[in-house]
Amino acid sequence: MIFNSVVFAIFYIVVTALYFILNHKYRWMLLLAASCYFYMAFVPVYILILGFTIVIDYYAGIYLEKTLDAKKRKQLLLCSLAANIGVLVFFKYYNFLNTNLSILFNNFNAQTPLPFLTILLPIGLSFHTFQAMSYTIEVYRGNQKAEKHFGIYSLYVMFYPQLVAGPIERPQNILHQMHENHPFDYGNMVDGLKQMLWGFFKKLVVADRLSIYVSSIFDHAEVHNGSSIAIACLFFSVQIYCDFSGYSDIAIGSAKTMGFDLMTNFRRPYFAKSINEFWSRWHISLSTWFRDYLYIPMGGNRVSKFKLYRNIFIVFLVSGIWHGANYTFIVWGALHAVFNIIGVMVTPITKDMHLKLHVNKKITDIVRQLFIIVLVTFAWIFFRATSMENAFTIIKNLKTIGEHPFLGESISNFGHCVLAIVLLFLIEYKKEYLSEKFNFFQHPNIFIRWGSIISMIAAILIFGVFNGGQFIYFQF
Amino acid sequence: MSQFLKRFLLFILVLIVTDQIIGFCLRQLYFSQHKGQFAQTTYAIDSANQDILIFGSSRAVRHYSTSILSNTYGKSCYNVGRDGQQIPYYVAVQDVIFGRKKPSMVILDINTWEFSINPSRYEKLSILLPYCHKHPELVKYVELDNPFERYKLLSAIYPYNSSLFIAANNKIFENKIPSDDKGYDPIIRKMNQAGITYTKKIIAQAKIDNEKKQPKIDSLSYSLYRQFLQKCVDAHIATYVVISPTIVPETPNERKDKLLSITKEFPAVTFLDFSSSPNYNDHFEKFADIFHLNKEGSEEFTKELLVKIGKLPQ
Repeated sequence: MIFNSVVFAIFYIVVTALYFILNHKYRWMLLLAASCYFYMAFVPVYILILGFTIVIDYYAGIYLEKTLDAKKRKQLLLCSLAANIGVLVFFKYYNFLNTNLSILFNNFNAQTPLPFLTILLPIGLSFHTFQAMSYTIEVYRGNQKAEKHFGIYSLYVMFYPQLVAGPIERPQNILHQMHENHPFDYGNMVDGLKQMLWGFFKKLVVADRLSIYVSSIFDHAEVHNGSSIAIACLFFSVQIYCDFSGYSDIAIGSAKTMGFDLMTNFRRPYFAKSINEFWSRWHISLSTWFRDYLYIPMGGNRVSKFKLYRNIFIVFLVSGIWHGANYTFIVWGALHAVFNIIGVMVTPITKDMHLKLHVNKKITDIVRQLFIIVLVTFAWIFFRATSMENAFTIIKNLKTIGEHPFLGESISNFGHCVLAIVLLFLIEYKKEYLSEKFNFFQHPNIFIRWGSIISMIAAILIFGVFNGGQFIYFQF
Repeated sequence: MSQFLKRFLLFILVLIVTDQIIGFCLRQLYFSQHKGQFAQTTYAIDSANQDILIFGSSRAVRHYSTSILSNTYGKSCYNVGRDGQQIPYYVAVQDVIFGRKKPSMVILDINTWEFSINPSRYEKLSILLPYCHKHPELVKYVELDNPFERYKLLSAIYPYNSSLFIAANNKIFENKIPSDDKGYDPIIRKMNQAGITYTKKIIAQAKIDNEKKQPKIDSLSYSLYRQFLQKCVDAHIATYVVISPTIVPETPNERKDKLLSITKEFPAVTFLDFSSSPNYNDHFEKFADIFHLNKEGSEEFTKELLVKIGKLPQ
């Protein structure tokens, strides 16, 4: 089930209404049943995979808490991690690894003994696997008590708003909320609905509109000139932001209407002035996951320079692999690693650049922001490309930039794209720099408040794309 | 909660009123267009009653000169083709037009690629949404894409989704939009060398793609095609199914075989295939782009079609 569908609208209304009608002690059952239904709307049988990891991690948590022997505790943690990573590797990376193995074997005139499997990737596998792993790690570290209630633990992994594309929650933030009673709260309901509306705007008006142009260029990159490709790359940067952050807004908003506080996942990343800052604003739940469970255990930044660069490189490489079983994602991750390392290296030089150049700080900030957008956009080429060959074709064709661009099959769609980006920029700029001003959604005057909400709904109906399909991050 | 419900209901009420007001304005704008594709579709659905009708996609719109057909037969003629549309659209429009008046002759321009799996074929039926209130028989076609379309039509804005810019442009710059010739809208352009190079690149790529993966067959499109022919035959209409010229010869494929076998179920229907005609294959000078003949090419083709039908001498 996808958020941008009529079926979800019906599902959401029914589940939320029943949630507040039911007594607190039965609500977990409703949410768990609803989450199962939500997940099974994709490929029903894959719920068994979720069930398998849930059972393993549930008992691992309980035994981790009971066991005092450090060696045994480590073994339990490793068992749980192996089960989760094993499932992830099998479903997501098996065929990719097998392909590479077969290329290797071919070099020695031999054939790989492993068969290729026609398996469909379970939707959101990387997300719920990482969320499940964060639970056992936190129990192992003693930061979280083991959850005794099997139903509540299952709900922690399966909570429908964030089940398939995050935010990847931590047990300390969400598990206790699943035990707590959430009586109906007017403020939560209204704020949650407003956040959902903003998410739908980003998905339907911006992301899905841009995707029409982006797909028309990327899918036939070999025949397009540099200008068209440059526009498509820039559009894709905005598309993926709006697609993913739109999903997060709908997820966070729908959870909020029921009284749950999910973690923030995006903070206007394209206003970042460094790559490091970009990653503190982009997919925050994943960046902090890698920070807490990979970067810091490797020593973080309290190590020698060489080890620091090594740590950064490993984290971003793993992040690339996490996104998908394709060399394009690995290169994307590696590029971000290189950008980050260079960023760390040049920080002493670029710090207080405006003082060195005797110019207004705003100017250097804008230049930095534009530079980061260019770097990130370049890296997105690998993320969006279907293969390395496709990515190199795109980069090769970029050299013809300056020729008249292809504006799409319909010029009106291009006009919609430009309008959508302008609207998005104005709203994001206001949120970033003028947070106290023009708060139309929260305005004390009901005409302005309702007028702005209704305008956004009307904009979605007039300009939205209603057959845009799935969210990009569902594939991960 | 009761406070929320009260306010929410009031909000919904205001939203409905706003939706109706904006929807009314969009409707006025949409139906006030006199030129452009929207205006042509409005005419086709609301008014077309000519003796000869041409159905099809943009290739129908660009390839069949209504004047030549009309003058040759001495009958009225209209081209109800529409850019980007495929068989579900033709059937929907046929349903509405035949309910009003049955023509004496129908030309259906078709292509084999219209029978491979392609969800956008049904998504594009959303262009029928503005007409669903006046022609409720169209609802079943727009529901081929999404079974909830009937309910979405409760919104007055929704039917005009994504049409504002085009409608406003067609209205404001009406004088700059060239008039069509009874639905026939030829492309007055010849491919330059860059266009030819670009087209050759696309053709080469498409060939590679096709070799890699044979497109899957869309059985619903075939059943809609059968339905189209059945309606013409039942109404005793002279029916011609035509594959108009293509820039490269079409290689034999499963979709074409199936198309032919269905057409053979209707002996009264004439099937004419120009996709491998040496008069057009590789004749870049007769094409405006990879898919469409230019004005000269389309006039030559219309005459050649009439020769094949037997209305003009060799």
